[in-house]
Amino acid sequence: MELAASKWALWAMRILFVLLVVLLYVPIALLALFSFNAGDPSFPLEELTLNWYRRIVSNPLLVTALRRSAVVASISSLLAVALGVLVSFALVRRRFRGKPVVSAVVFSPLVIPYVVFGISLLVLFTAFDRFLTSTSGLFIGLGLHSVVIGHVVVSLPFTVLTIMPLLERLSTDYEEAARDLGASAGQTFRRVTAPLLLPALVSAFLIAFTLSFDEYAIASFLSGTTPTWPVYLFAQLRVPSQLPQLLAVSSIILVASIGLVVGAEFARRGSQRKYDLDT
Amino acid sequence: MSSEAGETAGRREGLVTTGLLAPPLLWLALFFLVPVVFVAAYSVGGVHLFPTDGGLSTGDWQRFLTGGSTYMTLFWKSIRISLTVSIAVVFLAYPVAYFLALCVRRRKYVLLLVIIVPFLTSYLLRVLAWKVILGDAGVINSFLSWSGLRDPNDPIGWLLYSQFAVMLVLAYVWIPFVALPIFVSLESLDPRLLEAAGDLGASRWRSFLRVTLPLSTPGIMAAFVFVFIPTIGEFVTPLLVGGPDGYLFGNAINDLFTRGLDWQSGSVLALFLLLVVAVLMAIFGRFIQVRSVAA
Repeated sequence: MELAASKWALWAMRILFVLLVVLLYVPIALLALFSFNAGDPSFPLEELTLNWYRRIVSNPLLVTALRRSAVVASISSLLAVALGVLVSFALVRRRFRGKPVVSAVVFSPLVIPYVVFGISLLVLFTAFDRFLTSTSGLFIGLGLHSVVIGHVVVSLPFTVLTIMPLLERLSTDYEEAARDLGASAGQTFRRVTAPLLLPALVSAFLIAFTLSFDEYAIASFLSGTTPTWPVYLFAQLRVPSQLPQLLAVSSIILVASIGLVVGAEFARRGSQRKYDLDT
Repeated sequence: MSSEAGETAGRREGLVTTGLLAPPLLWLALFFLVPVVFVAAYSVGGVHLFPTDGGLSTGDWQRFLTGGSTYMTLFWKSIRISLTVSIAVVFLAYPVAYFLALCVRRRKYVLLLVIIVPFLTSYLLRVLAWKVILGDAGVINSFLSWSGLRDPNDPIGWLLYSQFAVMLVLAYVWIPFVALPIFVSLESLDPRLLEAAGDLGASRWRSFLRVTLPLSTPGIMAAFVFVFIPTIGEFVTPLLVGGPDGYLFGNAINDLFTRGLDWQSGSVLALFLLLVVAVLMAIFGRFIQVRSVAA
């Protein structure tokens, strides 16, 4: 240990680490604190109250926006996980020409600026609608479906990155044994591969779900007249009197998402450890 | 196995691969590549969506590239801010990642998770937190006036709605993410190299400069690129805490599509940004192990 840093340097880094943790968590903690404050979100605090939390359910627009986000996030992450499984199997288990190109295409949504991706889909959907209207008089318009389409694209690289490492560790012995014992390809996947992959699938779903539920930039271009939760939140930020209630909802989501992410991480680590012991 | 049977099996293998790749690639082609092609076509007037859209012309491109519009200035301002933020964030995150990777023995992954967790919470919320902290009636100013350190009628105005606010918030948002690739590159460092350097008489500082730092360069590069690229197109943070002074290139694209309804100019800016990102990825891409993000 003394090779990596002198005593003084060690202390300096320790202090820097603690400062960084404080800096990272204080702003979030303040928001949570203000959600219990009866007055405006500023110091000195007035009396503590649960009122903002109680009023959430009686705000239909807010509840609808939350429900929309839950629906969009569920559908888009299920699709992203399904497509992610296919890509992962192809990249890990298959040999084919053009593999680098395929993985470049799959991972490139990681670096595309969301504003560019959002307007690109907006242009595509508008053009498609113009075409529909001129040929058949039909019109689809923007809405939750367009948000789902966009979120699947940006979630896909994350689900692939979660599924691929586990698939790489998974030896093909189990599947081969199942096939030798007479199971069909479908049975083998359902009874052997899928259960072994389950931890990665769950954690991929959770990552995609959190990403979609919180995504503002793409949704702001594509949600049309049906704002998802982040789009609603953003619009309401202009109304100062709404702020404490928004903080209350956000605090609930915050606690839930931290719980989910930490839980998913431990589940993944645990299952990996178990699997490593097995082999 | 006869050669004929081998051929059939080979063809079936090929079919399976096609079957696996077809749905995801079709999705990406339809909803990722085609839209970009549409934007490219739109930027030169190749797509006609509104009555006001002109015909084929490279006029918008020429005006933009030759500096006939203010957008080029805005682009360089965005680059400058992103560059400042990414460099600052890498400098801050490096010692923390170093500490976790090389100095902490027990529970280093738990401590790493402590740093990363804020990145996984709502982005809007973290930006909003700073709006609440930095505002005229915000946490800092209300604390200053409450404690008597500053006249209540004279709050510090430059805290919010400024370039400073944009840079501070972007740094705050991205730091957890940056620590990760640096941590990964430092952790894979063979400690025997440091022992060898020490045995050969190098001081700690010298072996850091000659061994550790060069070997962690890929991590530093990856960290830098992963902040620099997404922040160039950033428009949400400037919208919330930037004010007129913190208005960036991404805001211009957003406004052209949502307010000004000049989609053609907007497409020019968007495609230009995409090309810049593509060039940056071509330059820096080889430093990036995409895997390091998922570690």
